[in-house]
Amino acid sequence: MQKRKWLALTLSLAMAFTAAGCGNSGGTTDTPAKDDGGGSVSADTEKGQSEVSEPSGGNGEATEITLWTYPIGKWGDAATVDGLIASFNEAHPEISVTVEYLDYTNGDDQVNTAIEGGQAPDVIMEGPERLVANWGARGVMVDLSDLWTDDAKAAIYDSVENACQNAEGVFYEYPLCMTTHTMAVNREMFEAADALQYLDEEKGTWTTEGFVNAVKALYDSGQTNVAAVYCGGQGGDQGTRALINNLYGGTFTNPEHTEYTANSPENVKALELLKDMDGINFDASIQGGDEIQLFCNGTLAMAFCWNVAQEANNAESINFDVIPMAFPTESGEPKLCGGIWGFGVFDNGDEAKIAAAKTFIDFMANDETQVVESVKASTYWPVKDLGNIYEGNDLMGEYAKFIPFMGDYYQVVSGWAEARTAWWNMLQQIGTGAEPATAAEEFVTTANQAASGS
Amino acid sequence: MSEKGNHLALGKVRSKLYKGFSIVVITLLAIAFAFPLYWIITGSFKTQAAINSVTPQWWPSEWVMDNYQKLFSRQVAPLWECHIPFTQVTFAGPEMPAAVRWLLNTVFMSLASMVLTCITAAMAGYALAKKRFAGRTLLFSLIVCAMALPKQVILIPLLREMADLHLYNTIWAVIYPIVGWPFGVFLIKQFAEGIPGEMMEAARIDGASEWKTFYLIALPMIKPGIGALAIFTFITSWNDYFMQLIMLTSTSNLTISLGIAKLQAENATDFGLIMAGAALASIPIIIVFLVFQKYFTKGITMGAVKG
Amino acid sequence: MKKKNSMSRALVMRETVAGYAFMLPSLVFFIGFVIYPMIQCIITSFFDSTMNRDDIFIGFQNYIEMFHDSVFLGALKNTFIIVVVSVPIVCIFSLWAATVIYDLKGPVCSIFRCIFYLPVVTGSVAVTVVWKWMFNNYYGIFNYVGTHTGILNQNINWLGDERFALGCVILILLTTSVGQPIVLYVSALSNVDQSLVEAAEVDGATRFQCFWKIKWAQIMPTTLYILIITMINSFQCFALIQLLTSGGPNHSTDTIMYYIYYNAFKLYRYGYGNAMGVVLAVIIAVLSAVQFKLAKTD
Repeated sequence: MQKRKWLALTLSLAMAFTAAGCGNSGGTTDTPAKDDGGGSVSADTEKGQSEVSEPSGGNGEATEITLWTYPIGKWGDAATVDGLIASFNEAHPEISVTVEYLDYTNGDDQVNTAIEGGQAPDVIMEGPERLVANWGARGVMVDLSDLWTDDAKAAIYDSVENACQNAEGVFYEYPLCMTTHTMAVNREMFEAADALQYLDEEKGTWTTEGFVNAVKALYDSGQTNVAAVYCGGQGGDQGTRALINNLYGGTFTNPEHTEYTANSPENVKALELLKDMDGINFDASIQGGDEIQLFCNGTLAMAFCWNVAQEANNAESINFDVIPMAFPTESGEPKLCGGIWGFGVFDNGDEAKIAAAKTFIDFMANDETQVVESVKASTYWPVKDLGNIYEGNDLMGEYAKFIPFMGDYYQVVSGWAEARTAWWNMLQQIGTGAEPATAAEEFVTTANQAASGS
Repeated sequence: MSEKGNHLALGKVRSKLYKGFSIVVITLLAIAFAFPLYWIITGSFKTQAAINSVTPQWWPSEWVMDNYQKLFSRQVAPLWECHIPFTQVTFAGPEMPAAVRWLLNTVFMSLASMVLTCITAAMAGYALAKKRFAGRTLLFSLIVCAMALPKQVILIPLLREMADLHLYNTIWAVIYPIVGWPFGVFLIKQFAEGIPGEMMEAARIDGASEWKTFYLIALPMIKPGIGALAIFTFITSWNDYFMQLIMLTSTSNLTISLGIAKLQAENATDFGLIMAGAALASIPIIIVFLVFQKYFTKGITMGAVKG
Repeated sequence: MKKKNSMSRALVMRETVAGYAFMLPSLVFFIGFVIYPMIQCIITSFFDSTMNRDDIFIGFQNYIEMFHDSVFLGALKNTFIIVVVSVPIVCIFSLWAATVIYDLKGPVCSIFRCIFYLPVVTGSVAVTVVWKWMFNNYYGIFNYVGTHTGILNQNINWLGDERFALGCVILILLTTSVGQPIVLYVSALSNVDQSLVEAAEVDGATRFQCFWKIKWAQIMPTTLYILIITMINSFQCFALIQLLTSGGPNHSTDTIMYYIYYNAFKLYRYGYGNAMGVVLAVIIAVLSAVQFKLAKTD
């Protein structure tokens, strides 16, 4: 009797759940049908079909590859990416692509566990700091030299080419798009605090002094949260680095990219300035992504983690006018952090998959009609001259003025992953009262150790 | 005499006061305990503006389904996938919002862990309590020591092992370590100690096989323990997060806990959407809990009787 | 004589075979997914091990470094703070709550019991994300209530402030930990021999004496069980930390469990992480053994 009761309980638990599952399945099957016109669903049904019709694949064997993307513009948006893959499958029906979307908070951990778990993705989309300096340096990626033909080398800008290879000249990334990371301010708030006078809106630059005065004006006008030096994790850390480097003209590494210089007097001075400013919090409870949302919903008056894609992607949630700005400098010559994004291939030991992965990259980044779509999906700029692909797009036009401010791409120092972890830890320390000079010193020691260690 | 009476009366008043006071406190605490759930549910129906306003809306002024729509339209996954071993054949269910699949995965994972744990622990606990064999004490000590071991300790070796077994990124990589966790064996052993030796002796003299003795004599007696273990395992595996975080990567293999955690990482402060995910994760199990509340409390309590 | 000996030997044989046969399914999982990785963990802890490179034997280097690593020592301290604070509070609070609830009797009692059990069934991730929202620096409910009732002068960055972050983590841990003990205590109290209590009351024992001398002794086994499950629970609070603070700010909420993960997947130091795992395992094994010995002698 007792036994049957337990059995019944277990069974009914199971039933309840399966029923719930099935009920839902019945209720929502019409959704795909309804949305069939959308890129998202059609791509998915295609994927389903290619799985089923595998044996009758026609020419050669079917290959399945996985693509993992970070949220690079709309490359983090399923609908957009499904559309891109649909056009890839038109040209290459023999290769089916499964996509997973990563985020900047946990994405690296996820890739790292997958590498150890023996199921690293075949293609990954990110920048040189991960593909070259991290996974490439650890020997888990495929050399992409055969994609870097002489034509490709001639077409792609030299600075980008340099960033995509390691010191020995092995290419671990094939680039697609680039941008400069800027900051942004909320026009309404600046207007209310009478702080617009400190901005050179046309050039998009301002001075360190202007920045200090603007923050003060905003703070005095009752805006207690002017900006946040976010340091809850590594997400969006290029913003905090660029801010601190630019304020007094410091650098993050030496020009040879072998040593960190974040403890230079200029940087320490900048850290001290930020630490003592009212209205700027060192906030260890948020990361770059959170900061963007806090700026977009009007909580913060400034965002340090900004670029054109942020404005494009958050358009519907922003109900004020965004003024993109370069980071404040004394010299008036800001050096902005660049972002270069492209594809890398993990070495999973399967030649067919590696070949398919390269086919995919070649199509996305080199096919004449496709590359424009691929770049547009990122809402950044191409890494080679494609003509003006954003003809008539005001937003892209507005942000294009920052490209000449592109600074040194230093994120390729070896041990970069450890160094950037040390960076947000350093900001947290300063936020909780540590001396900027001591904390910066400690950061440089740790980071240099990582740089020389591996 | 009257002094003593006075004292008693005073004591009674005091005791009454104390009682009233504690009831007030416990009610306040109960409200505080229920509040997060209330906040999840109402939050999931609030508008973006209401979520982000500095002045919280205690009761949503406007109820919207936006958050759920966003949650369900984000990603899709086949409702189920069934791969026939050693072949290329895979059956896939209809495309569904990924969150539904996550829920299904979680249910499957919890039930499978529960069933496997109960079977293995019942047998092992019985053997440890009633069989005299060499190495028994050693095994039992190992089990006691391993019981409180956090899984982070064996994180890297376990990950590599699962990769070698080709179980990485399958739900089994989460289930097996739960089954291997020896708390269940310990619990059942405590119960099985109560089986009178004479009954087993009698069964043996009657010529019953070992299996029959276990099945007919021991099992009915440790059933309450198994019930307790079943509930305990179900809830622990439902709430488990770490193994899932390490072992699962594909969208279609995620569990609901992991799904919400990812939602949070991707959407940082879009709390409406996150709350919709949290509601989806918690409401089903809360309903099950409320419906089977009696069994739950009974099951939980059973575990302690012999603890 | 001889015959009897062989008989009993046969019996011993049979017992052993049967014992292991019954143990087998469980042992497969236990050895395969707990003991084997644990052995691997011990071995790797003597190596400098990282992603995609042959391990280098370095002897006790990892262990030596550990005790000079201030972050590790801090994490160790935090782990102990969490356990030492949460275990007694959970026990005392749930016992008190159970006595109050138990007196209410009937449906009211079971409603309260249900409510306190809610955070357990809600699921750790769901609970964590809603608390993260409530603790939010800019539009969390705590800051709103705090500043509007005048308790706080200004917003507190609960999770981003070294002084509060660990406390917040423990608070959430407490809410998810007391549900089960309360249920257990309520039922333990209902099993207390009422005639003894009544006899004591007639003899003029105070409420407190009554409780301490009679009820406490009778609910002792429950208390021990609660101690065990609460300790296990406190050591497992990984999700809370990973989702709320990622060990920050300034490592003030790092626990060893999180720091192992951090070393493995942010710093790629597998050997070092494993060495920490070994130390933690030894500590926990000793604690469990002690606890078990205590339970036995009681």
